[in-house]
Amino acid sequence: MASETTKPADAAAAPADQKQQEPTKPTVLGEDDEFEDFPVDDWPENETEAAAQAASGGESSKHLWEESWDDDDTSDDFSAQLKEELKKVQESKGR
Amino acid sequence: MSLVIQFLSQIRNFIRKQDGDSLQSWLQVGPNSPRQYHELRAELRNQYRQSGLDNIIQKCLPDDEGDEVEGEAVPWPSLVTFIKEYFTFWRDADYDVDLVRTHQLLSTLVSSCATALTHPAYGAMLLKTSMSLSDVLARLTMTLNRRPELTRQLRTSNDDESRKSIAESSAEIIQKIFTACLNDRSSDRSSPPKGKRVAIYIFANLVLKLLFAYLRTHFLTCAVQCRRIHLAKMIFFNLGANSPPLSLYPAAQRVTFLYYLGRFSFSSGNHYLRAANCLEAAYLQTPPRFTSHRTNILTYLIAANILLGRFPSANLLQRPESRTLAPIFFPVCAALRSGDFIRFQAHLAEHEDWLLEKGLLVPLTHKLRPLLWRSLARKTFLLTYVPPTDAASRKAATLDVADLHTAAVYVQRRLEGWVPRPAGHAHQPNVNLLLMKALANNIQETRGTSLVPPPGKPNRLRPNEGLVWGNAEVTLDHVELQLATLVEEGLMHGFIAHGQGRFAIIGAKAKGPVAAGWPSVWQSIQERRYEEDYNPDDVPGWVRV
Repeated sequence: MASETTKPADAAAAPADQKQQEPTKPTVLGEDDEFEDFPVDDWPENETEAAAQAASGGESSKHLWEESWDDDDTSDDFSAQLKEELKKVQESKGR
Repeated sequence: MSLVIQFLSQIRNFIRKQDGDSLQSWLQVGPNSPRQYHELRAELRNQYRQSGLDNIIQKCLPDDEGDEVEGEAVPWPSLVTFIKEYFTFWRDADYDVDLVRTHQLLSTLVSSCATALTHPAYGAMLLKTSMSLSDVLARLTMTLNRRPELTRQLRTSNDDESRKSIAESSAEIIQKIFTACLNDRSSDRSSPPKGKRVAIYIFANLVLKLLFAYLRTHFLTCAVQCRRIHLAKMIFFNLGANSPPLSLYPAAQRVTFLYYLGRFSFSSGNHYLRAANCLEAAYLQTPPRFTSHRTNILTYLIAANILLGRFPSANLLQRPESRTLAPIFFPVCAALRSGDFIRFQAHLAEHEDWLLEKGLLVPLTHKLRPLLWRSLARKTFLLTYVPPTDAASRKAATLDVADLHTAAVYVQRRLEGWVPRPAGHAHQPNVNLLLMKALANNIQETRGTSLVPPPGKPNRLRPNEGLVWGNAEVTLDHVELQLATLVEEGLMHGFIAHGQGRFAIIGAKAKGPVAAGWPSVWQSIQERRYEEDYNPDDVPGWVRV
């Protein structure tokens, strides 16, 4: 948008002069953009986790992810049902 | 003096002073431009014929190249063409009457701006104008993208060119500006960007936004997918060849670019490691206050990491940006942990619309099956393995393929609608009559299983819903093949003794049979070796040094 400082003094009637007036059209474009433009262009690194991560040699991001997630618990319903099924099948085979 | 002449004399003044800010501020095209622009339109419509207007433009913006005063600029031919298009736009465009026509006019205008921008000496003064024009074009395109009823008429044509989507054609025009900026050689690659190069990632991000918006709202044919992928690949290739390091650009541009690069890696060619690298860098560089951006990044970062065998921690799922994601991904992880295909598929079905819209349904449905099989095999081993009583025994720890077959058939039957037999049902007075009837009719079938067949026909499964293919029977051979595939992929460690019908674990003595036979998925994927020309840590398009 043109600002006061960009307006040449002799252009009183030029189109850019009355920008403070109400818009004549209500049309709004691209409202529900999924990944919106950020409201600021830049921010200091110390506002992010990247800085802390770099300082800790990657340790600080490890608490975000689980690399060992295997489950040895066999007391849940699904395990109990599988156990029952394995038993039935083995019985029927006479094993 | 007419508005047209006043306008042109100001434009000439700004050009002479190479005042890019004022040019951007005056060359508006948005729907909410001030009243004077609409008065300008009225004047253009009522007082000028095309030839008369062209003459006035030519007169007010004379091409004096060679006669310029030192430090000042003069109009150049492609700029004059651009200004002509600018007036044509204001004369003929109308956001409230015909958005498609307005898009066409704006496309022509932005395209002529891209050409004027390439002038080696003066083009850079149009950089900010290019940004604001491209921004309006992208927004208008996004609006049209959600209004298929408006653009349907364009797509009914058989002409290949016009079948190109609105989003694709806008992306191609903005890509011209991107290329003009990238080709500016006023600074070398390693120094902070100057001139037009400061805007490389602004335009790259706009192009990528348009390509992904189109993906979100349309089911794409192969041809369209290929064109879209080709366009994105060109951007990444050109950046890789010519761009200064991404780290020299402002944080918002870095994060937005890494988000789209991560999504591209995720959706084309299934480069989940590359996707996770980009998206994690984007996430870690986004301050917590930008919650919705973090949610968008995490949507794909969590999915990519799950596909790589790395699950989101409780800590991550409790963050504000995960509020809407935790109900989706937590149950997925729980089902993967236990190899529970039934819960897994029921959960995906429950969230099918959301997953489809995000482009996650197909990868999660298909690419997580090896992890489900791995956990099902592991669980079956846990339920059936009997350790030797003699500590000195040299007998290998094994999983009977027949036991995993039993488990797989059980899962397939449950998916087809079989239900667990209620305990002691024969003695219950109010037992379901249909169930009793089903039992009576299927005595043969129900022998040797804890399940009861469905009262009617079994559920008709879609191909991806069955353990093998829809309702196809799960055979011992299928199960053995599945085990062999898991061993081949490094997700299980051992070998198949085909003659004995057993999977034998290697290294059980040292680590214990479960840890030896089922190594960490994440570690296994990290340790995979690739063809020489593929390095998952090197993401094409991401210029790091």
